[in-house]
Amino acid sequence: MIISHEMDQLIKDQEGWTRRMFEEGIRIKKLYGLDAVYDFSLGNPDTEPPETLRKALIDMLSSPEIGTHRYMSNNGYEDVRQDIADYLREVHGVPFTAGHIFMTVGCAGGLNVILKSMLNPGDEVIVPTPFFWEFKNYINNFGGVTRFVETKEDFQLDIGNIEAAITKQTKAILINSPNNPTGAVYNEESLRQLAGLLNTKREQGQEIYIITDDAYKKLVYDNIKLPNVFKMYDLVLSVTSHSKDLALAGERIGYVAISPNIKDLDLLVSAMTISIRVLGFVNAPALFQRVAGKFQRTSVSIADYEKKRDALYAILMEAGLECVKPQGAFYMFPKSPIPDELEFVRTLQQEERIMVVPGRGFGRAGYFRIAYCLPMEKILGAREGFLRIGDRYYRGGK
Amino acid sequence: MKNSSWIRAMFEEGEKLKKKHGVENIFDFSLGNPITEPPEILKEELIRVASSHAQGMHRYMTNSGYDDVREEIAHYLVETTGLPYSKDHIVMTVGAAGGLNVVFKSILDPGDEVIVPCPFFVEFMFYISNHGGAMKLVDTKDDFHLDIDKIKAAITKKTKAILINSPHNPTGVVYNEEELRELAALLRERSQKGQRIYIIADEAYRKIIYNGTRLPNLANLYEDTVTVTCHSKDLGLAGERIGYIAMSPHIKNVRSLIDATIFANRILGFINAPAIMQRVVAKFQRNSVDIMDYQKKRDAIYNVLVESGFEVVKPQGAFYIFPKSPIPDDVQFVKTMLQHHILTVPGVGFGKPGYFRLAYCVNMDVIEKSRPYFKEVGELLRNGREQ
Repeated sequence: MIISHEMDQLIKDQEGWTRRMFEEGIRIKKLYGLDAVYDFSLGNPDTEPPETLRKALIDMLSSPEIGTHRYMSNNGYEDVRQDIADYLREVHGVPFTAGHIFMTVGCAGGLNVILKSMLNPGDEVIVPTPFFWEFKNYINNFGGVTRFVETKEDFQLDIGNIEAAITKQTKAILINSPNNPTGAVYNEESLRQLAGLLNTKREQGQEIYIITDDAYKKLVYDNIKLPNVFKMYDLVLSVTSHSKDLALAGERIGYVAISPNIKDLDLLVSAMTISIRVLGFVNAPALFQRVAGKFQRTSVSIADYEKKRDALYAILMEAGLECVKPQGAFYMFPKSPIPDELEFVRTLQQEERIMVVPGRGFGRAGYFRIAYCLPMEKILGAREGFLRIGDRYYRGGK
Repeated sequence: MKNSSWIRAMFEEGEKLKKKHGVENIFDFSLGNPITEPPEILKEELIRVASSHAQGMHRYMTNSGYDDVREEIAHYLVETTGLPYSKDHIVMTVGAAGGLNVVFKSILDPGDEVIVPCPFFVEFMFYISNHGGAMKLVDTKDDFHLDIDKIKAAITKKTKAILINSPHNPTGVVYNEEELRELAALLRERSQKGQRIYIIADEAYRKIIYNGTRLPNLANLYEDTVTVTCHSKDLGLAGERIGYIAMSPHIKNVRSLIDATIFANRILGFINAPAIMQRVVAKFQRNSVDIMDYQKKRDAIYNVLVESGFEVVKPQGAFYIFPKSPIPDDVQFVKTMLQHHILTVPGVGFGKPGYFRLAYCVNMDVIEKSRPYFKEVGELLRNGREQ
């Protein structure tokens, strides 16, 4: 075979329905025209980076320093890491220095670097479900095993389930909050319980890391504050990117923040230095490192996202759909009116030209994901379609 | 981690010396980090792109990269190779290192073997082992050209690919058309027996080539060729991580390979090559930094080495030169050079003890000023031999 058996299998695992869905989507877009289609299937924000960022980028390029585009140390520019450490110290109240920051090719790159550095074959990583499907691939890349743990009805962590899933092989738990696909923000209490559980394990001699995927950390609503995991537990690695908060998804810029309470910092950084090199990233893109350093305190309009969340949630409620109101990110994860969500998603697509992703793509059948990082007009434009579909499934029979 | 710890030790040794004697008195030939700046017109284009008010300049695009960018690169490849490349055969990557990882992830099953001519760029070993592959090193000839018989002897049922890096790091050798034809013939024999072996061409240095030498185009010599390249060296954009994979249009069932590379690009965490640099490099396929400048440096360092009594193959490309160590213990010799303020990397770091590597992508005056120090080391060794 031209490609490896393993790759063939991986591709097959994700294909089938995604491919069919995708092709059907293209067909519908061609048939009805883009304007008549409501594509809520992709987490590719339509937002533009802040205007101040665009200006800073032009300024930077207009007075170039010699060596701006060369290799730098694998963990990134020292001054950029210093700026980020200053910001994180302020936010988390823990003593970050430049040495605790490691610039990466986005969040996906950062997670791969961490997992490559930490995992031995057979090591287990606990992932609460529903979950972002790529996590499984990232863990699998390095011979790790993903242990899925169901969350509660409201998509909050179920500490009992997590405790039951811990084995001698457990190396880490991967927490994504605000969450893709549910938009849930894990609350302070559940995280404290998690820290308590892991501290007990630690006393028994097993060190389990919390890896937090904080890609959506600035996208939180209702004036809530994201709980400070660094203050709750020592062994924390936070991975983040500026794909969403600065709308730089295509530029691939992010970083890992290593808790100052991790004792083996030098060893971990050495391992990550080798990992980022041998995985072929080498370093985070030079130009956008410099941008990221200057824009830690900036973000796209969160109020805009919150308005979209409110608008979409209101539509879903009006339509009679059942949905946990999300407090962050730009996803909603309603229950499918019928158990076979694949069937429902197909109907939504064919009858109403509304495109969403079936829950089984996130390890939870019977639900579906709506990504609402779209212009408000699109969200409002889809209202009638949602209402009709609500009528059909919830009131039609009555 | 243990495999690369000594390179780090060398690096740290160098840093100490720089502190002690001042940076200007240390001649650092240890790093392949070119000091060359991108062409001026590229910098202007970068400003133009960054100033654009078009929507969506920084969003995700398809994992393989922008259609129009791949289209332009395909045009360039059609022009230079005569092969019918289309945008579908191109996948934009996070540099050549990213591209190689994507290719290996796509084709290797655990235990599959990849032949690598030796000396070799040590990172290749990791790129292969990352994805469960086994590297099979094959010695090259005395002039660092391919030894086809040895390659033939190294092929097993598990051989999935041979990795060809030309112009070559660390030797600067450019493989000639004849030896590559022989290689192609050898591999074709295997494919006629049902075993497909890829040639993976790492062409990161393809434009840095001297005296009018022409780089033979592997895709024209062999069907199952995957070319990986980047713009770190030819456009001076190393830190920006931009390159691409070009899959030969003659690969049978190339579509499944294309799909696998796009998928691997995603799950390895690259997702896509950096957006802004994709747009810029598309327009600069026909440009490069000043190659004459590198050639002058090549001539200068070669002369310095020969005058000082070193035995060395004159490189035809890249910006490396790989002289023989005057004593068998290259690590010891590199340490001796350190005492004379010259930083190099021992051949053992490239799988070839008894040699050492100089990266001459430095300012010309570093080369010129290093001359007396090389002579000093040369003298020392001659005297040593006489004693």
